[in-house]
Amino acid sequence: MTEAQKVNILMVDDQPAKLLSYEAILANLDANLIKARSGREGLELLLKHDVAVVLLDVSMPEINGFEMADMMRQHPRFQKTAILFISAVRMSDLDRIKGYQSGAVDYISVPVVPEVLRAKVSVFVELHRKSRELENLNRELETRVEQRTRQLQESENLLRERADLLELASEAILVRDLSGVLTYWNAGAEVLYGWDRNEVLGKPVHEILGTEFPVESTSSESTLVSRGRWDGNLVQKTRDGREVIVASRQVYKKEVGSILEINRDITAQIRAEEALRQTERLAAMGRVAGIIAHEINNPLEAITNAFYLLRNHPSLNEEARYYAQLGEVELARVGHITKQTLGFYRESQHPVNVGIGEIIDDVLQLQARQLLINRISLDKKYFTDGEIRGFPVELRQVFLNLISNAIQAMPYGGNLRIRMGTRWNEASGRQDLCVSVCDTGGGIRPEHAKHLFEPFFTTKATKGTGLGLWISKGIVQKYDGAIHFRSITFKGKNITSFRVTLPGVSPASKGLESTYHALGDETSRAPLGHL
Amino acid sequence: MDTYNTFILCVDDEELPLTLRKLVLELEGYQVITARSAPDALRILDDRPVDLVLTDQVMPGGTGTELAQSIKRKWPDMPVILISGINEVPPDAMYADLFISKVEGPAALCAKISAILSARRCSLG
Repeated sequence: MTEAQKVNILMVDDQPAKLLSYEAILANLDANLIKARSGREGLELLLKHDVAVVLLDVSMPEINGFEMADMMRQHPRFQKTAILFISAVRMSDLDRIKGYQSGAVDYISVPVVPEVLRAKVSVFVELHRKSRELENLNRELETRVEQRTRQLQESENLLRERADLLELASEAILVRDLSGVLTYWNAGAEVLYGWDRNEVLGKPVHEILGTEFPVESTSSESTLVSRGRWDGNLVQKTRDGREVIVASRQVYKKEVGSILEINRDITAQIRAEEALRQTERLAAMGRVAGIIAHEINNPLEAITNAFYLLRNHPSLNEEARYYAQLGEVELARVGHITKQTLGFYRESQHPVNVGIGEIIDDVLQLQARQLLINRISLDKKYFTDGEIRGFPVELRQVFLNLISNAIQAMPYGGNLRIRMGTRWNEASGRQDLCVSVCDTGGGIRPEHAKHLFEPFFTTKATKGTGLGLWISKGIVQKYDGAIHFRSITFKGKNITSFRVTLPGVSPASKGLESTYHALGDETSRAPLGHL
Repeated sequence: MDTYNTFILCVDDEELPLTLRKLVLELEGYQVITARSAPDALRILDDRPVDLVLTDQVMPGGTGTELAQSIKRKWPDMPVILISGINEVPPDAMYADLFISKVEGPAALCAKISAILSARRCSLG
């Protein structure tokens, strides 16, 4: 035991001889023995040292033992300090000693029996040592508790920070157990799917999101469980029934039996990529069409001219002239095809007033025979004469395409319904012209629907070029218009309807002019096409 | 209309189509001079009077519209007709009096030439 760890025993007596004898008695207790010749000196020493027990002579001049004990008890630090009074046994003294309610107090009578003194002091010393140890342990415990509390606080802060981060993420972050029951649903998931967390927690995830897996759902789930993670794109449904495509990353936590999932909405991105590919394909088609047109038109003109010269040659007899004429007719057909399908050739550079009603009537007259052969009844109503600014040839082509498609869809009879009217367009602040062409033919298969306006898409194996609707859409779009279609089944009949919307008469004609003067302002002043 | 004294300068880099176009115009009664390129055409115009220029659009050494622009700069009243196999009207087509597609055929071509010439005669009085 080191000097510092030794306990201190304070001995207070006015007689030096007694102090010496106590010292001798207590020498082998392995304690520091501090001697005081008076109560005052004793109190001073008490303040300087951590004392385990005070050996206190009752009868001392100046401050007697009891007075000193009273003073000690008033000081909080010494309230528990053990006091061993040394006194000649007097009844009044014993009563007084009993009066000390708190703290360890004992007495020893004179003459002092060394063994008794040693035994009593050592009990107090031991008591002190124990309580000191206990104090130390307590203190240590307190620091550890404090430390742990601080660590807990720190990790709690960290967790809260992480949780806040999860809420900040725009990705949908969810946690579910192996059976799919949701246990976590962040703000990103609320935004993406439209479901509040309290509506979905505790429910199976696939039921809520209607997830479509690229592969069988059980096999992707087993991949997740066996490999611990799964990455891929999924098609899911939002609360309002919208389909979203998400890039999903899932991790399986074996220890807790839960699946962590982060889903990023890539719908817009995928749609944009699709649209871009589509646009690029259309642009490429357009370029190819232009090149083909040029390459065909050049020799076509030469051949047509050759036949023209041949037919007009004076040496030709009637029969030869007839053959040349047949050739010319067929060449005119080729010319018609390149003109109609390979680019948007216009005869005139200026838009003129075009009556869509007249155009449709023209087309119907052309198709009158076909309507009769196919036994198609016509139901036509115009609520306007449909006059707009534009180019008759291309507008005629739009309605020729739609009407002949409708007729071809009804080889065994049906009903062709044409409606033309105007509709106020809130967005553009103008009156739009709406024309719908409906047939009761075979309908449009859903898988064909999205390809309908693509070039070279046709359901008419040999008859169609697959360019009609593509060209029509291109023409209508140049007018800032649109073509929509619907195919429904009503009372066992397929009804297919194409609706063409064209910006209306005035004041929209201004917008139309600007579209058609794309050649520049000088176009209108140049002496072009004034024939 | 008197076509016998009307001179048309016909420009095309391809020989066969040029010859056939010339023959069609001659059948109609016009006097036809041919040139195989835009610079050729400009040289001829410098040398002799011409009533109308009919030029192909896509040619090496200068397009039809470029030729039309050069002609109009020097002879603003000279009628120029562009004939092209391209279905799209070229962006600088405004320098020419008329843009006509090759698929229109010889009859339409002759009709339009005749119309332009008579419109010009009227305006010149």
